[in-house]
Amino acid sequence: MKKFKISYLTAAFYWILIIFLTGLFFTNDFGLVDIHKTSIITAVGIDNVEEEVEVTAEIAVPQPSQSGDAIKYTQVQGSGLTIADALNEINAKTGFYPKLQFCRLILVGDSCKDKELFRMLGCFYRKNYSELTALVAMCEGKASEMLSMKSPVADSTSEAIRKVLSDEIEKSANASTANLKTIAISEYSKSRSCYMPFVQVNAPGTSEDGLDGDGVGGEKPGQGGQGGQGGGSGSGGSEGGSGGGESGGQSGQSGSQSSGGQPEEVEFSSRKTAIFLNGKFKGILDERQSFALDLVQNDIRLAVLPCNAEGTHYTLGLKNIKSGTKLDIVEGEPELVISVSATTQIQGVRVKVEPSKTINDDVVPQSVINGAKAELEDRFNQLVAICRETDCDVFGLRETLYKRKPAEYENFKSDLLQVMKVRYDIKIQSVN
Amino acid sequence: MRINVRQICFIMIAYTAASKLLTYPTILSLTSERDVLFPVLANFLIEGVVIWALSYLCSKTDKTFYELLSGSIGKVGAKIVYGFFAAFFLLATILPIFEQKLYVHNIFYDTVPSLSVFLPFFIFTTYAATKKLQNIGRCADICLPVFLVMMVFVFLMAFSEVEFNNLLPVLKSPLPGIVKGATGTLFNFCEPCWLLMFMGRFKYGKGDAAKITLSYAAGAAIVLAFVSVFVGVYGPIAPSRTFAVARTSLFFSAIETIGRVDLLVLFALEIVMLFGLVLNIQLGVQCISVCTGLEDLRIISLAVNAALLAILVTCDHNYRNVYNVYHDWLWIVFLVFTVLLPTLAWTLKRGKKR
Repeated sequence: MKKFKISYLTAAFYWILIIFLTGLFFTNDFGLVDIHKTSIITAVGIDNVEEEVEVTAEIAVPQPSQSGDAIKYTQVQGSGLTIADALNEINAKTGFYPKLQFCRLILVGDSCKDKELFRMLGCFYRKNYSELTALVAMCEGKASEMLSMKSPVADSTSEAIRKVLSDEIEKSANASTANLKTIAISEYSKSRSCYMPFVQVNAPGTSEDGLDGDGVGGEKPGQGGQGGQGGGSGSGGSEGGSGGGESGGQSGQSGSQSSGGQPEEVEFSSRKTAIFLNGKFKGILDERQSFALDLVQNDIRLAVLPCNAEGTHYTLGLKNIKSGTKLDIVEGEPELVISVSATTQIQGVRVKVEPSKTINDDVVPQSVINGAKAELEDRFNQLVAICRETDCDVFGLRETLYKRKPAEYENFKSDLLQVMKVRYDIKIQSVN
Repeated sequence: MRINVRQICFIMIAYTAASKLLTYPTILSLTSERDVLFPVLANFLIEGVVIWALSYLCSKTDKTFYELLSGSIGKVGAKIVYGFFAAFFLLATILPIFEQKLYVHNIFYDTVPSLSVFLPFFIFTTYAATKKLQNIGRCADICLPVFLVMMVFVFLMAFSEVEFNNLLPVLKSPLPGIVKGATGTLFNFCEPCWLLMFMGRFKYGKGDAAKITLSYAAGAAIVLAFVSVFVGVYGPIAPSRTFAVARTSLFFSAIETIGRVDLLVLFALEIVMLFGLVLNIQLGVQCISVCTGLEDLRIISLAVNAALLAILVTCDHNYRNVYNVYHDWLWIVFLVFTVLLPTLAWTLKRGKKR
């Protein structure tokens, strides 16, 4: 009797379980998503238009295909008082769920310069939107226009931009990278400062002259008879909208287009850096200042340093770089020591090459090493000067002081950058 | 109804640590800022002393907690105390169930799933709560290796992003915040009560008190390390990152290339967390059984889980309110049940060892 009872209960339990799971299945609680019916945001561009935020999402739309990869990238725009409003509008237009799990790039247009950065980006730091792994960069002009440009190096624009913000490029000190996490950690530290790469576009096949190798690309797209004017968002898009028509906007391709109707191809570069204090834009570090910042903040494998010695231009490769900053209190005054140690070899000289002498490229003359040291010192001087001028603590010195010497932090927290002495400890030697 | 010392040690390592991987580090970073390690140390030190005292008590008697109570305050008194412990175990389960639901919904789903997606959890708990101590021990045998391996992966994946100097300067956060960090997170601690329920149900051998206490210390070390890593990864923005275990490994470089491999680790850890969570329900059901004299655990389990389900459904959108009650007020209850009452067990008449 007892045995019968147990088996009866077991059977009843299984029937209840089956009915329950069947209920879940038919109410779509197992929720398989047909990827062809959805779209995935891979990048967003943020612009400020009067009091509204305009969000342009680059969306990957999987296409049915028998021959492998078939993803169509397109742009959809939404706007509102917050990014969440704008994303909601994009959701209404595309049918995707507004989570940004696959968003890899956030491009902040320079129209956001006057706004508080972390008010603009606030949405991404709230629980459900993003995992803070997305790269962040400021761009020249409107983000919506940049995202609609076409690059020869990748299918999607965001992928092409991410190539110039990659870890690999960071290791050469040619650009820094920043993601949502790193900028927030810097901003909410005692330094209250953060920085991010500044992305610019250039016409393909052009370069900037006369900058000793620090030039960034060259002509702007649309200049020199290359095509149409850059600008004009929303062309070729379809009118969208929902509800009472309040959320209407434009979707589809926008930005620079050549006369043939196809978007003009451009190159991206990010050798400049945008700096922020208390979330407010404070300026752009040029290539030399950015190089100096990258050198002390990142783990650099090989950096290329142009310098002059004895009236000749040299291009040196710096390897085995160990660099950093050290803040100490010496005789009651803060002293910043910027140290760099590296080995170097000659990569290029502005003279006719002598094959018999290239074997000596690893033995760099002392005069050239001195030139390299002077060049590095000059770059650091420029960087420190702009930090002092804007009070933007991109080195994170206030945070360092608070961590290491909290008592001294109270004394110097307001004028640390102004009163600190700066000393350089630069050691460069030949590879051989 | 017996368990062995090895399994108790495994429970003390795996379930102790697994139950503190979701919201515990986030709450600490919110209340104690950079001094997150001090509340953790304080909590584990106090609970660790109680664990040692209880396990040492086990060397002096082979009676169960119920037998000790019966011998001192009579059977009715013992049943009343067990009734209180049953209520405590269920109380200790409610907030973690809410957290588990939110965790599953947030981390394992890209969309917003309905509550019904989480309801199969109660099928598991209803079944598991009918099981006795042997099964609890066997589950611990399986869970510990899984837990340790997965935690190694969690630490490895987070390693490149950790900056331990985010924990500096030491003891510069306001003292009330540090104290609030310690008291406000006490609802994560039930371990002395587990040991109280295991009393007299395992064969005490020489040095077992040290083994159990050291196991608890190992669990504490894992939690300390994890909290350090979490704050090391997120620094000042750690308070905004809920479900810590799912956030620490996100910056692992391989994820960019091959996708969310960290989810495999999270799934495995979720299993351990569920077994850790269900332990409270199992012990609560057994306390009710002792208290009421009902021997059929299936009926008790059904009733208990129905009650938990009703609470979950009723308060589905009130997690923050439920949390506030636990954080602001119920820490006193946890202090009484996990520190005061287990310590008072030493005052009970032990009699002679059989």
